[in-house]
Amino acid sequence: MKQTVFILLGLAVLALLAAAPYLLSDYGTALLLGMTGYITLATAWAMFSGPTRYVSLATVAFFGIGAYTVAVLSEVLPYPLVLLVAALIGLTVAIIVGLSTLRLAGVYFVIFTFGLAELVRQTVTWWEVNVTETLGRYIFLPFEGRHIYWQLLALLVVTLLISWWIGRSRYGLALKAIGDDETVAEHAGINVPGLKLALFAISATIITLVGAIQAPRWTYIEPSIVFNPTVSFLTLIMALLGGPSKLWGPMVGAIPLFLLFEWLSANFPDHFSILLGALFIMIVFFMPKGILAKLEDLRAGGAS
Amino acid sequence: MNGRLEITGLKKRFGGLTAVNGVSFAVEPGEVIGLLGPNGSGKTTVMNMVSGALRADAGSIRFDGVELTRLKPNKIAKHGVARTFQLVRPLPTLSVAENVLLSFAFGRKRHWGREAQMLVEEKLEFVGLGGRGGEEVGNLTYIDQKRMELARALASEPKLLLLDEWLAGLNPSELRIGIDLVRHLQGLGMSVLLVEHIMEAVRALCSRCVVMSAGEVIASGESEAVLKAPQVISAYLGDDHA
Ligand SMILES: Nc1ncnc2c1ncn2[C@@H]1O[C@H](COP(=O)(O)OP(=O)(O)OP(=O)(O)O)[C@@H](O)[C@H]1O
Ligand SMILES: [Mg+2]
Repeated sequence: MKQTVFILLGLAVLALLAAAPYLLSDYGTALLLGMTGYITLATAWAMFSGPTRYVSLATVAFFGIGAYTVAVLSEVLPYPLVLLVAALIGLTVAIIVGLSTLRLAGVYFVIFTFGLAELVRQTVTWWEVNVTETLGRYIFLPFEGRHIYWQLLALLVVTLLISWWIGRSRYGLALKAIGDDETVAEHAGINVPGLKLALFAISATIITLVGAIQAPRWTYIEPSIVFNPTVSFLTLIMALLGGPSKLWGPMVGAIPLFLLFEWLSANFPDHFSILLGALFIMIVFFMPKGILAKLEDLRAGGAS
Repeated sequence: MNGRLEITGLKKRFGGLTAVNGVSFAVEPGEVIGLLGPNGSGKTTVMNMVSGALRADAGSIRFDGVELTRLKPNKIAKHGVARTFQLVRPLPTLSVAENVLLSFAFGRKRHWGREAQMLVEEKLEFVGLGGRGGEEVGNLTYIDQKRMELARALASEPKLLLLDEWLAGLNPSELRIGIDLVRHLQGLGMSVLLVEHIMEAVRALCSRCVVMSAGEVIASGESEAVLKAPQVISAYLGDDHA
């Protein structure tokens, strides 16, 4: 009964969101588009990093791979195939990276993933300059903001469903156990490396698709745009703010922060990085487990 | 329940230190056997190799006719070997029930959903934590964490249980309860390899013992006889017992 109400409510909200481009101005739609992109990034990031606590800064590596694949192939292949190829490239890179790094623990993993994003960016730049002799590419796809927005919305729904399904399956429990103590998890019968790799790959593939779907928005792209490390940091902060171990956590963090960042970058473009850093520190300091956990604590505290 | 553990010529070096040096013994199906020895003699290292936490440098470990020596811990768990840890290792973000549920979900058989929840409650009751599944493991006393860890090991439905000083730190009345629990498991047909310093427990539970010193087996056989052997007394029990 309660579940039916939730499903109906969810569908109603979804219908409203899908209709939003007809109700909003172009600017409003663009804002909603960007927000949906970041909610999807943060949710996909948290799918792997939330329970396992492997903090990945490789988000933009996959995001950029997705965007670049579209830039290179959009005039060669039909669009759905371009998305498929982008997803496959993201998946392949994720598996290679996962196999070589998921043995790293703690801060080494963080540093490696950050390095990976830079490596991918430098490689693409080098390739474009030396081999294809073009730095920057144009994307001519007949998409308007709302078309991109609808694709992202669909991807977000799929991402939330995957995340929800994992969370209630035995793999969700296993991932939390891995975050706590990998040795104990292994002795309980969990294939720890296999499960980490699978989750990292799913998460990275979704992130790749976010980049691919958003690419037509820019018309012109170059490595410094689509491999901008700020994307990785924003995703991380959003997920942390909302609480990466809850299904809705990344969304709760992404919505206010996205709006705040839009406002900051419009009004204080020169100080954006500093403000971002300061905010990051405050979130980690005051709400290490995120808004949702903080609210629960407050409620529990008030009740007792 | 069948399952014979056969260890032959097991070796493990840590840098220059040979922690386990050619250890051989067997655990018969349904037997509770004591693995004794002074601190640092290599008992936990043997346990770690049997459970797959460490890889042996040489020798072999066979269980139930299967070679475990090169297998990963998760595979070994699925072959029916479970363990507790000398220092308890509860999973802090999971509730007491979830800690146990984990082993049911990934153990020898796979249980999930309603059925698994009932099994978890049964196991918690068995170790004396009935009705406390919803609690945070961090709030449990040390003893209750040990109980939880036993329930978690049992939840993978092992044929062989490795207990690494599971009875250590219990007060006399808790010790009696602990001994009864292990005896009950034996009654159910489970084999137990028991690393233990408490002689009372060893005498009560183990018909046979293996004694290690400096990585080697120095005595094995009937408990009463082994515990009286002069080399055991001098190596393990110390001068005040001589
Ligand atoms: N991972 C490791 N790295 C290096 N040395 C180790 C490691 N594990 C154990 N050792 C060393 O190997 C030797 C045997 O240790 P082990 O823990 O097996 O002894 P034990 O018999 O279980 O002792 P205790 O009764 O104190 O638990 C010790 O000297 C110990 O310091
Ligand atoms: Mg030990």
